Amino acid sequence: MIARVRILIVEDDAALASGIARILEGEGHAIDVMAKGEQAVLAARQERFDMVILDIGLPGMDGFEVLRRLRAAGDRVPVLVLTARDALDDRVHGLDLGADDYMAKPFAMPELAARVRALVRRSQAQTGPKIVHGPLMLDTLARRAQLNGEPLDLAAREWAVLEVLLARVEKIVSKESIIQAVANWGEELTPNAIEVYVSRLRGKLEPSGVRIRTVRGFGYMLEEFKEK
Amino acid sequence: MVRSLRGRLLEALLPPVAVLLTVGAIGQYFLALEPAKEAYDQALVDVGIALGERIRSSGESVSVDLPGAAEQVLRVDKYDAIYYHVRGPDGDALAGDPGLPAIPASQEPEDGVIAYDGDYRGKKVRVVALLVPCGGRVCAVQVAETTIKRQALARDIVLYSLVPELLITLLTLAIVWFGVQRGLAPLEDLSTEIRARSARDLRPIDPQHAPQEAQPLVGALNQLFRQVAESSGNQQRFLANAAHQLRTPLASLQAHIEIALAQSENALAQDGPEARRADLEQVHRATIRTARLATQLLALARAEPGGYRGDASGPVNLRAVVEDAADEWVHRAMAKEIDLGFELSDAQATGDALLLREALGNLIHNAIEYTPSGGRVTVRTGLRNGSPYLEVEDDGPGIPSAEREQVLERFYRVPGTVGTGSGLGLSIVREIALAHGAVIVIGSGEGTAGTNAGCKVGLTFPRG
Repeated sequence: MIARVRILIVEDDAALASGIARILEGEGHAIDVMAKGEQAVLAARQERFDMVILDIGLPGMDGFEVLRRLRAAGDRVPVLVLTARDALDDRVHGLDLGADDYMAKPFAMPELAARVRALVRRSQAQTGPKIVHGPLMLDTLARRAQLNGEPLDLAAREWAVLEVLLARVEKIVSKESIIQAVANWGEELTPNAIEVYVSRLRGKLEPSGVRIRTVRGFGYMLEEFKEK
Repeated sequence: MVRSLRGRLLEALLPPVAVLLTVGAIGQYFLALEPAKEAYDQALVDVGIALGERIRSSGESVSVDLPGAAEQVLRVDKYDAIYYHVRGPDGDALAGDPGLPAIPASQEPEDGVIAYDGDYRGKKVRVVALLVPCGGRVCAVQVAETTIKRQALARDIVLYSLVPELLITLLTLAIVWFGVQRGLAPLEDLSTEIRARSARDLRPIDPQHAPQEAQPLVGALNQLFRQVAESSGNQQRFLANAAHQLRTPLASLQAHIEIALAQSENALAQDGPEARRADLEQVHRATIRTARLATQLLALARAEPGGYRGDASGPVNLRAVVEDAADEWVHRAMAKEIDLGFELSDAQATGDALLLREALGNLIHNAIEYTPSGGRVTVRTGLRNGSPYLEVEDDGPGIPSAEREQVLERFYRVPGTVGTGSGLGLSIVREIALAHGAVIVIGSGEGTAGTNAGCKVGLTFPRG
């Protein structure tokens, strides 16, 4: 469950901007659209947005400059950059420096919506002790977990594995990084042990709409799924 | 720029020629002057000998018997004043003009004669001195003359020999200049010919038009022209192909959008929402196809030699390349119910990580595209016989052996292939492999029981 968030779209192509706005409004977000970089910098200074979707190829002040000014002013708002440059452009790769994510045009709208969800979730997770994903809730302070509102009983290692997977929800998490995150100091954990914890977690999560997928030879991915 | 040939030739020719001519002129001057001077000296010596014969001696006394008329004859000269002085064995003056420049003590006599220069009565004089026997002893005779004749002679020599010499020098320089000019003329003509060409005129230069020395240059130029013509032909074909490929999905877009528009205007539309949805799905597919094609064309342009990537080469672990890209592909595979798996070990290679990621993306895209739902795709990295490799295997229909060369060509698609590929993916992989010195091998997959043979595309890189 994601709280209603306010998103600023900075995109000079009116058709694309309205398309994105409609999709995100459909997800229950509040949307502002601006066509100019200067406008966006000003607006971000005066109001609080939970996220900015920023086109690089703006007329006048371009997206690189908008991003630079936002960061120079100490604004840590999550920024998803849109670009018509291809992935082989070094400047696009350099975006890692200031942007939280980027998408090359053209892109699929469902993917955009998913990235927005992930960014918002990440920024909210940083601000509160509760990690929420679909029917699953982890209160990291109280060390309590709930599934569909029911208390979920987790052993310490299971809790640790689930926390790692939840932190990178819908992304692949390699077995090695789970081992690193879960292992106590000075204690060796084998990949087999991880498999055991994952299989127990699966048993507990099974009927809920959240599942852990195995990515063969790589690791695991936590995802929400809807019954077809 | 290397200095001009004309400059180099002139620089090599002119100074030595000038030095040679100068040395020649100076040599000629002295060669002409010396014999003339000797002849004049000899005339003075003759006077001295005549004077010596006039010395009379009787016992201890020595005298010069020179009547006035004879002295007049001795002193006659058209240009110069002639002086003489005779001294007895004890150094006493016997006759003539006293005070002639003394005989230099250091100079040795030559054939009994000492010739030297000096000043007398405020004028330059040439003096010869000779010793004459007189009464069993030795008397000295000096004869001197002013140097008017001699200076006139030197002037004449300069005038009559150096002036022609100078003219010869100037003529030689002019000949060198024009010779160089003329020698370089064929090169000038060649550059005029090339300059006059249009950018589209890539015909070879006729070697007959170029001098022998310029043949290697003309050969190299012609080779370059051939390569440019070839690559420009490739570009033309590529553009034409690309335009054709773009027009197909665009035509589909146009058709379906026009149908949808017509239906929205027609209130009595007979087709239901299912048909409209089908139209929209067609539009969506055509759009995705167009977008992917645009992306691939750009990737191909960048991967080509002389593309826009520049030199971004460095140490790359192929395993890291796969791990970074995995997320992107796992979702697509899951959407199609394909089991995308990994068998990764470290594989240190040298290259451009972004290009390698692009190549990998195309391989995985193909594997997911052509493998039916429920199939398996496996990405492997590691070392094989010490060489790093990257491999994508699927259990789809595979590529027939006879087609495995051709599928690497741009826009080539295996006949009868379903799906909406552009035929560019594997040629992008090939360009990237070429840029990395990697070898592409297309083979059959291991295949699992009851499934198709599958396809395995591997890139083997040079040992790190």
